[in-house]
Amino acid sequence: MGYRFLVLLGALSVLPAAPAAAQTSNAVPRTPDGHPDLQGIWTNATITPLERPKNLAGKATLTDEEAKVLEAKSAAELADADGKSEGPLLTATGSAGTGGYNALFIDRGSEFARVDGVKRTSLIVDPPDGKVPRLSPEAQKRLASSYMGGFDSVKSRPLSERCLLGFGSTSGPPMLPVLYNNNYQIVQTPDYVMILVEMVHDTRIIRMNAKHISPNVRQWLGDSVGHWEGDTLVVDTTNFTDKTRFRGSTENLHVVERFTRVDAGTILYRATIEDPAAFSRPWTIEYPFLATKGPIYEYACHEGNYSLTDILGGARKKDAEAAHN
Amino acid sequence: MKITSLAAVVAGAALIFGAAPAWAHHAFAAEFDAKRPVHLVGVVTKVELINPHAWIHVDVKGPDGKVTSWMVEAGSPNVLLRRGFTKTTVAPGTPVIVDGYQSKDGSLRANGKDITLPNGRKLFLGSSGTGAPYDKKN
Repeated sequence: MGYRFLVLLGALSVLPAAPAAAQTSNAVPRTPDGHPDLQGIWTNATITPLERPKNLAGKATLTDEEAKVLEAKSAAELADADGKSEGPLLTATGSAGTGGYNALFIDRGSEFARVDGVKRTSLIVDPPDGKVPRLSPEAQKRLASSYMGGFDSVKSRPLSERCLLGFGSTSGPPMLPVLYNNNYQIVQTPDYVMILVEMVHDTRIIRMNAKHISPNVRQWLGDSVGHWEGDTLVVDTTNFTDKTRFRGSTENLHVVERFTRVDAGTILYRATIEDPAAFSRPWTIEYPFLATKGPIYEYACHEGNYSLTDILGGARKKDAEAAHN
Repeated sequence: MKITSLAAVVAGAALIFGAAPAWAHHAFAAEFDAKRPVHLVGVVTKVELINPHAWIHVDVKGPDGKVTSWMVEAGSPNVLLRRGFTKTTVAPGTPVIVDGYQSKDGSLRANGKDITLPNGRKLFLGSSGTGAPYDKKN
């Protein structure tokens, strides 16, 4: 927390002094071609949830004092849940009977996301209620099938169990923070921007000033093309597979992301999500990526994915026992 | 094969309102059997810092003196490394107590929902329990 807190403090302290920013260590670095340099290692870990919680309905932001109280409460709850099977997180994951991780392994950050100097209660900024717009009935079915699946084949299992994509849209787009491995590395040239996502070792390749590939070619992470609008990198992504399913989306999901390095320690990330067949209206999330220490560790998810064989083998054993009885 | 429905893996807004929208890599209830709780008292033989889960190997001596070797699933090794733990932090021979649930396929694997030293302290001393990134001080 110390490092991140310092970064936040740094971000705050430079805001009123923006005209002098070029003379401070918080100045936005630039590449030789003059664009903001987005390169480095970043984290989007935050306890700000995607959707605004019910108990904060109508309250989009928190004062630092309010945030401090809630952040302490959140930390206390996590510590208290450590090792308990009946924790709310385990209940929500359907695993209350079996327990989950010790709190040690949960690395979701400890603070609310701060944008424009103010802490936010949801990543969603539009619609203003901070909620995902209404899902079509088909989207609701797709969303459910994303997590459940059957046990007939490895192909029935969720993509995250199969190590094909990170869970919770870590690579996206749109990119979202989850329980752990919320680390990203950006490498930038005039022609390409690469985003290495620690979770499941996904790599996004953004082709600059290029046209989208043929609609016949579908990719797990879609096809991303970028351009600069002033000092903001704008990334447009289409061509998803019909299995990617971001919260029930179809293969026609269209995501426009905006990356703005607002100071040395912060990239402001904003993404607009559009898919009329899934969502009743376009919606937008916004939160900061904060500079963090490296390195990124390789999360080669297939390396020791014993879980998948345990899950499929376990289902077969249960079926055999049921047939025997 | 019968399709068994799993409880949804969505863990949105779980810990009070604090949790980020979260899915687990897999649902624990899909892999482990809630009807087979295990309480393992043994010694660590090896720590595997592999992806997507770290696995802690524990030898457990039964009442008959027979030793069985268990594997205990933990979380992402990246989080451990970032907090300064390596595969040698917990030396072979360290006595541990594991409370968890055995895998549904009946193999000697369990999740480590609670791994402690015999004196009750957490196996990984210095666990912040706060979820703060890279914080070793809390």
